[in-house]
Amino acid sequence: MKVTYNWLKDFVDIDIPPQELAHKLTMAGLEVGACEERSGDCVFEIEITSNRPDWLSVMGLAREVAAVTNKKMKDPFVSRRAQCSGAGNKNVKTGVAIEITDKRDCPLYTARVIRNVNVGPSPDWMKQRLELIGCRSINNVVDITNYVLFESGEPLHAFDLDRLSSSHIIIRRAQENEILTTIDGKKRTLDSDILVIADKEKAVAVAGIMGGLESEVGDSTRSVLLEAAVFDPVLIRRGRQILGIQTEAAYRFERGISPGIVSFASLRAAQLLEKIAGGVMSAVCSSHFSAGKSLLVSVRLSAVERILGIAVSFSVAQKMLAHLGFTVTRSSKDMMRVTVPPYRTDVKIEEDIIEEIARIYGYEKIKVTLPSLKPKPAGFEKRDAVLNLKRVLVGLGLNEVNTLSLTDKKTVTQVLGRVPSSAIEIMNPLSNEQEIMSPSSIPGLLRCVSRNLNHKQEYINIFEITKNFSWMNNSPLETYVLAIALCGVSSRFTEHGVLRENVTFLHLKGICEAAFGACGITDYSFMEQKGEVRIIIKGKDAGFLRMMPSSVLDAFDIKNRQVFCSEINLENILEAGIREKKFIPLPLYPSISRDISMVIGENIPAGTIAAAVHKNGGGLLTDVKISDYYKGKQIPSGFKGLTITCIYRSSERTLTDAEVVPLHSRICSLLIDTFKATLR
Amino acid sequence: MDIEKVKVEVETDAQAVVSFHHLEEFRVKYLGRKGVLAQLTGQIPLLPKEARAGFGQQVNALKNRVTVIVTEKEKTVSPVQTEETQGVSCDITMPGITQDIGHLHPITQIIEEICSIFNKMGFRVVEGPEIETEYNNFSGLNIPLEHPSRDAFDTFYLNPSSVQTEKYLLRSHTSPMQVRVMKSAKPPFAIVVPGRVYRPDAVDASHSFMFHQIEGLLVDDGIRFSDLKGMLEVFAKSVFGTDIHMRFRPHFFPFTEPSVEVDISCFKCKGKGCSVCGRKGWLEILGAGMVHPNVFRNVGYDGDYTGFAFGMGVERIAMLKYGINDIRIFFENDLRFLKQF
Repeated sequence: MKVTYNWLKDFVDIDIPPQELAHKLTMAGLEVGACEERSGDCVFEIEITSNRPDWLSVMGLAREVAAVTNKKMKDPFVSRRAQCSGAGNKNVKTGVAIEITDKRDCPLYTARVIRNVNVGPSPDWMKQRLELIGCRSINNVVDITNYVLFESGEPLHAFDLDRLSSSHIIIRRAQENEILTTIDGKKRTLDSDILVIADKEKAVAVAGIMGGLESEVGDSTRSVLLEAAVFDPVLIRRGRQILGIQTEAAYRFERGISPGIVSFASLRAAQLLEKIAGGVMSAVCSSHFSAGKSLLVSVRLSAVERILGIAVSFSVAQKMLAHLGFTVTRSSKDMMRVTVPPYRTDVKIEEDIIEEIARIYGYEKIKVTLPSLKPKPAGFEKRDAVLNLKRVLVGLGLNEVNTLSLTDKKTVTQVLGRVPSSAIEIMNPLSNEQEIMSPSSIPGLLRCVSRNLNHKQEYINIFEITKNFSWMNNSPLETYVLAIALCGVSSRFTEHGVLRENVTFLHLKGICEAAFGACGITDYSFMEQKGEVRIIIKGKDAGFLRMMPSSVLDAFDIKNRQVFCSEINLENILEAGIREKKFIPLPLYPSISRDISMVIGENIPAGTIAAAVHKNGGGLLTDVKISDYYKGKQIPSGFKGLTITCIYRSSERTLTDAEVVPLHSRICSLLIDTFKATLR
Repeated sequence: MDIEKVKVEVETDAQAVVSFHHLEEFRVKYLGRKGVLAQLTGQIPLLPKEARAGFGQQVNALKNRVTVIVTEKEKTVSPVQTEETQGVSCDITMPGITQDIGHLHPITQIIEEICSIFNKMGFRVVEGPEIETEYNNFSGLNIPLEHPSRDAFDTFYLNPSSVQTEKYLLRSHTSPMQVRVMKSAKPPFAIVVPGRVYRPDAVDASHSFMFHQIEGLLVDDGIRFSDLKGMLEVFAKSVFGTDIHMRFRPHFFPFTEPSVEVDISCFKCKGKGCSVCGRKGWLEILGAGMVHPNVFRNVGYDGDYTGFAFGMGVERIAMLKYGINDIRIFFENDLRFLKQF
């Protein structure tokens, strides 16, 4: 909302410069975003919160200015005589009939006829003020309705009376598919959710939103029908949403118009029409309206202190509230009775009054205190486990990404083969990037990989702990997953120069194992299945390691690269893994370790060998590790070099070589006999 | 210990001192707390009375001699010699040998920094679902369904799954957790809730349809607006430095009354006005207020509780703190960006 300094001065004697006023308003909750000197005036741009429709007018703002500068409001225009609704020239016949189909849609409608107007340009002072606040000058009649709208907050509409088929005004819902061309020249198809102003034949305006082109005031207009009314805010809101238009009028009606302002606005505009456009006004014709009782709110002075932390005396509170138009009386030592002025539709309860006191007192002046907190016991929680896991992954060199949880169906289909039937669809996406909630973390990661390859990154190692979304028994399910993607060549500086390694499945496996370790998971295994690796945790499938097929990578424009991805369901892990660490006593006696180097068929899994050795090693064999692996020139094709380390230990005594030798040769024989190994 | 032998040993050892390292060994051996001279001095009381004086003099003389040797050697042993003998055998300007460590996303870092500040003050960090009901996101928070106050909360709705009747949406703020937490627990409690929120905004430098917020809620007997001010001051100074100024402006949120918006003085221009703060000198960092009685009523509280709530945009704070001017960069996940944090 824009307003000028001089316009405000019509209503309050302001004796502080514009900048200072801007600051005071900001600190009272009317944030002045800009304060610009122009044409000998100063234009304030003020952000008006949606609870204060009364601030959408110069007079409403002036009331606030009066309160924060400790001045009285002036009421310069409307004399006491004129305030009565009968004002007007008795010789001018109104001749208007008002018919309201449903009072809930339109609680109050007034019309006034002004005859013999001369449509022409507005006076410079009016043009200038309107232009300063960003409203284009059209002609004196339209400008006057706009001027009074900004001044009073009540939207007015002027019809060319001679272009209406009758003086019988009907306020009704539009018929289905009723057509009306609005003053912006657009042909609009209406429906029964839209309220219209109609003459006996047809709709002539969309009520509270925009007038009709046909009855628009123009150069030839001689008689004006001036409308001032109150419409149902919800109906106006729905109507302007259906029509997709926002107007100054709709903006105000939607936020609520206080009926008290209607007759003032009508009279003020009519007076200006007489003065500026040379017309003669009729008396007002109004629908029946009974103003409700003023709202009374009881406010405890003790509650002011309890909520704000400051003590405010009755007389101080009374004075502050009086400035804002509230009437305050004292009903007991602690209790005030506050009468709410009709334009303060936002004030309903004690807390609302307390906020008013705080605003005028000044939030700044409220002295700072600190509460005493009463913490409850809280141990290591799921969230701590997630953070711990993130830090371990970062320690392993991975970089955390943050991908969008909404995605398009096409990408999901490219990665998963189809959109899962449990996918959650968005009803109102702005673009196809927002069609569904991500059912998988992999598309997001592949987008990151692709982007970084485009930026010539050699090595992409990223992870995200995020949620996958799906319907589950008609309820939305949010599943925490850990997603990892590796691509490219890792390079590390070593004593012997740079070590460059293509990433492989085993790099991804190593990261997963470290992650499980960080979560306190020991019972896990990896199982090859249909060209990928499934991760089994405590006997349950918990995710996969996958080399992404080139057909998928093509969709992300990733060419000639291997990308390894993993997705692990964290719900299982975190539940199991809120860590319960336990100490295992250190061995009392030293161990003896023996290596066995062998050449063995390349298709025999190292894990199979280690498991067989472990099983057949006897009670003193406490551990078997794969300690080296070699493929190359010295090894014949179809074979691989493998070294295992066997650890022997007794929990009762120090073992001697003599004890280990027979055990070890038994293992060697096993390897030779069972696996056709050649020992080296 | 034979003092005559020691005298000879001193001279022999002195010959061998060619570096600072040797010199230090020599000094410790003879002059150290448990050194040779200390041991000799320790022998004095054990000697017959008549022998003590003579022996004492000899020990003193030897001590002087050792001191002289140390002083002289300090001059003659050159630092160059030291380096050579200590053997820095590599080019120390080469890169160090290490393992690269990764980086937490800046949004995670900001969330953890902020949550940890509140955690230290006694707040518990909890999280909530991103898919919410219309009630928790709006009505429960005193936001009427058809009212302009909802315009600030444009919302993504979900297509209902086949037979399910409830209307779900993507939460447009983290405040629905207020309703969830209050419905499941009785005061006193103090929580902070970080998480993703969604609004159907067209994407540009300052808008993303998904972003992060942190919500805070403290409810107890006797919580006052002045407590809210105090708590937020501790928070803002922890994040932005103790030399900032703060400003509390009245504002409107449907779920708090009184409501407030909090500004900090621009840390770049110190309040003079610059491009970062749009020439205002102030930066808006969060919204807050005292929990609205209607919200308490909606969750079924009837006691005399009071409380405060606050909410802030994580991206906004990260952008201010790190000097980032385009929100989209957070979700592009360019490693060159991520590795800066």
